[in-house]
Amino acid sequence: MNTRRTFLAVAAGLVAASGAAFWAADSFAQSPADVKVWIAFTDNRLDWAREKAAEFNKQFPQYNVTVEGYGNYEEIQQATDLAIQQNAAPSVVQWFEVGTQRARDFGYFKSIADALGERTEVNGIPVNFDDFIQPVVSYYTLEGEFTSMPWNSSSPILYSNTGILEKAGIDTPPATWQEVEAACEKIMALPDAPQGCITWPNHGWFYEQWMAQQNAVLANNENGRAARATELFLDSEPSVAIASWWQSMEDKGYYVYSGRQRDWAATEQAIQTGTVAMAITSSADAANITNAAKENNIDIVTTRMPYNAETGWTGNLIGGASLWLVKDLPTEVEDGALSFMLWLNNTENAAEWHQVTGYLPIRESSVELLESQGWFEENPNFYTASDQINNSTVTTATRGALLGSFPQTRDVITQTMENLMLQGGDPAQAMAQANQQANQLLAEYNSLYN
Amino acid sequence: MLGLIQILVPLLAGLIGAVWVGSRFRLMQRSGMVGAILGGLAGGLGSLIFMAPLDFCTFEPERNLIDAVFGVGLVLVGMAIPLGPLLGWTRQAYHRHLGMKNTVPQQKGIFKQWWLAWLFLLPTLTILVLFLYYPGLDTFRLSTLLTFVGAPRTRFVCVDNFTGLLTDSTYLRSIGITFAISAAIIIFGLAGSLLIATLAYQPIRGAAIYRILLIWPYAISPAVAGIIFFIMFNPLGGVANYLLGLVGIPRLNWLSDPNLAPWVVIFASIWKQMGYNILFYIAGLQNLPKDLQEAAAIDGAGAFRRFLAITVPLLSPITFFLVITNMTYAFFDIFGTIDLLTAGGPSGSTSVLIYEIYKIGVSSGNLGKAAAQSIVLFLMVVGLTLIQFRTTERNVTYGG
Repeated sequence: MNTRRTFLAVAAGLVAASGAAFWAADSFAQSPADVKVWIAFTDNRLDWAREKAAEFNKQFPQYNVTVEGYGNYEEIQQATDLAIQQNAAPSVVQWFEVGTQRARDFGYFKSIADALGERTEVNGIPVNFDDFIQPVVSYYTLEGEFTSMPWNSSSPILYSNTGILEKAGIDTPPATWQEVEAACEKIMALPDAPQGCITWPNHGWFYEQWMAQQNAVLANNENGRAARATELFLDSEPSVAIASWWQSMEDKGYYVYSGRQRDWAATEQAIQTGTVAMAITSSADAANITNAAKENNIDIVTTRMPYNAETGWTGNLIGGASLWLVKDLPTEVEDGALSFMLWLNNTENAAEWHQVTGYLPIRESSVELLESQGWFEENPNFYTASDQINNSTVTTATRGALLGSFPQTRDVITQTMENLMLQGGDPAQAMAQANQQANQLLAEYNSLYN
Repeated sequence: MLGLIQILVPLLAGLIGAVWVGSRFRLMQRSGMVGAILGGLAGGLGSLIFMAPLDFCTFEPERNLIDAVFGVGLVLVGMAIPLGPLLGWTRQAYHRHLGMKNTVPQQKGIFKQWWLAWLFLLPTLTILVLFLYYPGLDTFRLSTLLTFVGAPRTRFVCVDNFTGLLTDSTYLRSIGITFAISAAIIIFGLAGSLLIATLAYQPIRGAAIYRILLIWPYAISPAVAGIIFFIMFNPLGGVANYLLGLVGIPRLNWLSDPNLAPWVVIFASIWKQMGYNILFYIAGLQNLPKDLQEAAAIDGAGAFRRFLAITVPLLSPITFFLVITNMTYAFFDIFGTIDLLTAGGPSGSTSVLIYEIYKIGVSSGNLGKAAAQSIVLFLMVVGLTLIQFRTTERNVTYGG
């Protein structure tokens, strides 16, 4: 008897406990949906994103957006791979532009267009892709579909030390390669000439920009956008022209090479301390460089990236990264992620992001807002990149290439340029060899997906 | 699927094993039949060690000659794994047969229960299996794949990742660079360390303090060493060019000149490891018997002669030990220094094998190639160590 009573009591207790647990679980479901956002910044850009997330959470209490920072684009890619394998994926990941093809092949992500469906607004935030500036829309539109959400798009521009240019009798910063050379001749002839005339990081991005400017494609199948690219054109005439000019600038002692690949810091350092008269680097550094130079009593003016006068200027392509939506998220989380991405890119936020960093204001309405505030008049250095991108003609070349092996191709290009500068050699021959190497890497990558 | 080659290879391998071990057994006047069966099994199964996981892909008709040659090598290595111990055992048995006593005395077990010993070893073994053997074996698996970090798809590529290295000019150049840089680190590093240790060993006041100061750099991580030298050899603001300027030598582009950069790496690596070497040399010097030195001094040998004829040979066991540890250091540990000092540049002039693996595995994310390269590097270091044990140890005198 006694045992039976005990048993009943225990059973009743269990029923009550599980009821309570269900009730508790139900109330947990009412708590805000967690939206995890991973970005590849650790500096003030991460702080800004976190501030924005807090603001968003206040406006939309049904969501809890948290922003995590990673060291660089490569690191975030690997962290994502691991997280997906361990079923601990974030909701939104910032992915660099040359990884676009990989993002598609890996199959971790859902296209923004897919996630939106027919909706024209999410939680009252309007979806207005027509407002995005054209080069950004065209880069991230794949097979006619908006795939990832643009965020930090940049463009390379020329930073010039007006003091040195004036001393050399140059009124306006050079616009073409040929003008750069002529200006350098004058600058290096100055009695108190700087240590070098011009510098830019040895990074594939600049090479790609010069290809686009000459309206030259990097790969077949319309730069990999009509179908998977299978062949590269690093040995093409425009490509060899870039290598030859770059090498000749180095040979004449005009171009300063720090000796390290992808050395963004050395370029920034050189221009803001007056070590060189000119530098080409990302518009995303406009704020940093202008301010740091001011502290050294140096006036910096920015102009468009110089182009090859012989082939003319078609346009520049965008750089930077975009936000990708991870697939198979619970509906609530997915809506939260979409809302946050749309909100982060609304007119005011896009304008503010531009002001804080120098990244492009990616909405037409943001540009208008900034104009109406007189921002560009007060900060002309920030206008250059927008002006350059908005005047670009959208062609196959300026939309940018999609390659599965893009990061490795960049490595091949930077290595080839380094060899050309440090050990000399024939640019045409070096580029032919680079092309062979890059084609092999591309074939290897493609063999996994054919 | 059993093709002709899947039968032929183990059969041939078994035959070789059978004849070899069988004849050995005959020599020992034991049953040649038993020997032939044992040898046949060992050879046949041994040939499968690498070939079964690879599914004999190296002998497929569409493969080229290099792959086939590589395959034969793998079969031979596989055969050696079981045949080696077997032949070793027959040699011992043969010696016993000739009446020679086994010279190794049997040690008495301390643990009465066999399982108790294993129980105590279990934690260590678990950790070794989980963190050393399993990842090690997984490296072999990865090395046969075309696979990128995180890419969900992989493709089996047989031994292409290995044979591809033979025609990879960057890789072949990297081998030369690795040996040159490592040799310089070992030779100059040990010579310099011995010199400084000898000086530091002189009995003067406050010796303890400056001996500690000499060992100090060893406590710095390779990465920090890289940063320190990066700043020192910076062409614009570095102290190296400033000092050269004082004696009227023009600025040198230490880090962007392919001929100079390796020397900066060598210098930084030696500086970083010197404390360790000095520590061992001072300890060695303290243990040297004084009477030999005194006797030589009485015979009229000068300090330099005594150093060369007595100190250096007596320190040979320590030198031998340091050569091995410095070699491991030069092959594996200078990665951090290189990454922050030159990042393998300029023009790949400081891209040693371990850095090459990092570039391919981490930067490009090509795991298969990186796995193959790390296996090759591992085998190289094992091989070098074995060669050194065989050749150098004969000249090492351990007696005091």
